[in-house]
Amino acid sequence: VMCRRDYPAMECRVLSIQSHVVRGYVGNKSASFPLQVLGFEVDSINSVQFSNHTGYSHWKGQVLTADELHVLYQGIKLNNVHQYDYVLTGYTRDTSFLEMVVDIVQELKRANPNLVYVCDPVLGDHGSMYVPQNLYPVYKNKVVPVADIITPNQFEAELLTGKNISTEKDAVEVMDLLHAMGPDTVVITSSDLPSRLGDRFLVSLGSQLRPDGSRTTQRVRMEVHKVDAVFVGTGDLFAAMLLAWTHHYPNDLKMACEKTFSVMHHVIQRTISYAHELAGPGRRPSPPQLELRMVQSKADIEDPAIVMEAIVLS
Amino acid sequence: MECRVLSIQSHVVRGYVGNKSATFPLQVLGFEVDSINSVQFSNHTGYAHWKGQVLTAEELNELYEGIKLNKVNHYDYILTGYSRDTSFLEMVVDIIKELKEANPSLVYVCDPVMGDHGAMVRTPPTFQVMDLLHKMGPKTVVLTSSDLPSKRGDQFLVALGSQTIVKPDGTNTSQKICIDIPKVDAVFVGTGDLFAALLLAWTHHHPKDLKAACEKTVSVMHHVIKRTITYAHELAGPGKRPSPAQLELRMVQSKADIENPAIVVEAKVLQKSSH
Repeated sequence: VMCRRDYPAMECRVLSIQSHVVRGYVGNKSASFPLQVLGFEVDSINSVQFSNHTGYSHWKGQVLTADELHVLYQGIKLNNVHQYDYVLTGYTRDTSFLEMVVDIVQELKRANPNLVYVCDPVLGDHGSMYVPQNLYPVYKNKVVPVADIITPNQFEAELLTGKNISTEKDAVEVMDLLHAMGPDTVVITSSDLPSRLGDRFLVSLGSQLRPDGSRTTQRVRMEVHKVDAVFVGTGDLFAAMLLAWTHHYPNDLKMACEKTFSVMHHVIQRTISYAHELAGPGRRPSPPQLELRMVQSKADIEDPAIVMEAIVLS
Repeated sequence: MECRVLSIQSHVVRGYVGNKSATFPLQVLGFEVDSINSVQFSNHTGYAHWKGQVLTAEELNELYEGIKLNKVNHYDYILTGYSRDTSFLEMVVDIIKELKEANPSLVYVCDPVMGDHGAMVRTPPTFQVMDLLHKMGPKTVVLTSSDLPSKRGDQFLVALGSQTIVKPDGTNTSQKICIDIPKVDAVFVGTGDLFAALLLAWTHHHPKDLKAACEKTVSVMHHVIKRTITYAHELAGPGKRPSPAQLELRMVQSKADIENPAIVVEAKVLQKSSH
C-alpha cells in the first residue's frame, strides 16, 4: 500500500517556556496545539504546573524554580539539541526565572543567530500591574532588548517606554521607541483609542522595521470586535499565532496580522457561543465555561478565513 | 464531540513520549485532553543525557484537589502509562476510583508498563492470558506485541486483542483478533504511549468492533513509524544508525494520518468463545 504523499515538511523548532495547566488553555496549553497543528515542532518547558488558571475560584499546583529551568536546559544542551528557530515566552511572576530565560535566549542566539524571540511582556492591563513590580526593570532592561517580536497591550507599551498613548500618532511614536529598545516587530494587541467602527470595537496597531536595511517601517491598524467576556489564554494564543504567521509572512505584517487576528476571532466566537449554551439564557458564563474551544477550532487555526482588514498607515 | 480525557504521564521538553506522545493525536481527533505531567524531563531516558524533575504523589493529589474544588472532575477517559513510583501509582488508583464514582461510565485505559523481552515466569498460552486478564478487570485487552510466530514470516510480529461482549441473553462472550505487524529495525520510544492513546480514540469510535479499532490504531502506528524511520535515515546519512534524537516520532508531520488513517493491516477475527 502506498503511503500518502508527503509534501516537504516545514522544519521549524520552537522552544516555548510558559505555564502548564492540567485543565484549560493558557500558557503552553494555549500555544502548543495551534503551533503543532501548523506543523511547528514545539519543545515546551513548563514554568508551572497548576490545576487550572488563576481566574477560577480555586487553583493548586507547583512552580518551577530558575535552577530547575536551568537544569532542564542543561539536559537539552548536553545532548547537543539546543538548536531552535524560535523562542516563545509569556506570563512570568519571578524575576530570577525571567533572568534565567534571558540567559538561555542569549545562549540560543549564539547557537543560532537567526533565532527569533517572540515575547509577550506581560506586566498588566487597564492601568495596573498584575505581576510583581520588580519584573518591570527586568523586562525593560534585559528582556525586551533581546526580543525580536513583542506583543504588549497599551498599558505595557506605555509602561515600557514611559510615554502615554492618547492618539494614533502617540502609538506610532511608542512603537518606534520600542523598536529602538530591540524588537523589529511590535504589535500593540489592544488599546482604548477610539475606533472608526464605533465603541463595539477596539484598536490594535502593529509596526515592523523592514529587514532590508532601508530602515523603513510598515505600520498597520486593525479595528477588532470587542466581546463582552473575560477570556484567559487569548494573549498566549495571539503570541503563538503571530509567531506562526510572521514566519509565513516575514515581510508582510499586514497579512500576518490579518491571519492572526482572524484566528483569534474564530476561536473567540466559537468559545463565547458555547459558553452561553453551557451557562444558559441570561446567565454570565463561568471561567470553566469560558475556556477556549481550542481543539474544536483546528480548521480555523490551519486555514483562517480572513475576517478583518489591517489598514496600512502611510 | 464532547469527550474529556485525563492523561497522567511524563512530559519531556523535547520529543514524543508520555503526554507529549498522547496529547497531540487525541486533540487532533477532537478529544479534550487534561494532562497531569508526572515528571518533566529534558528528553526521554534513551538519550546520552537527561535531566529533570519528578512529581510526588502528594503533588499529584494537590493538582487533583484543584480540579475537584472547581467541580470539574468529570472525565470520560483516563489514560496512564509509564510510572516508576508505587505511591504515585497508588494515588493514581485512588483518583480513578473517585472519578469512577463521579462518572460510572468512565473508561480507564492503562498501559501496564513493566518491561519487555524477558518473561519472568512460565506463562500460560496467549489466549488464556487474555482471558485471565479479562477476569482481573478490563473488558478490552490488547497484547501489543508478542513473539508468537507470524504466518507471514519472521519480518512480522503478532499482536492480539480480546474484548468481552455481553450478549443479549446476558452471557459473556469475547471477540478475539490477531494482526501481523511488520517489524522495523530500530528502537522507538513513545510508540507504546501513542498506541494506547490511539486505541482509546478508536475504541471510542468503534466500541463494539475491536477489529476496526485495532486496524485503525495499528495503521496509524505504521504511518508514523514509517515516516519517522525514513526521516531518521535521511538525518543519519547512509550506513549510519540513527541516534535517539533522530528517531523521535514525526508526530506533527503525521497529522493527516492520525486524522484519517489509510488502513494498511487486516485484523483476523479468531474463533469466538463463550465464558
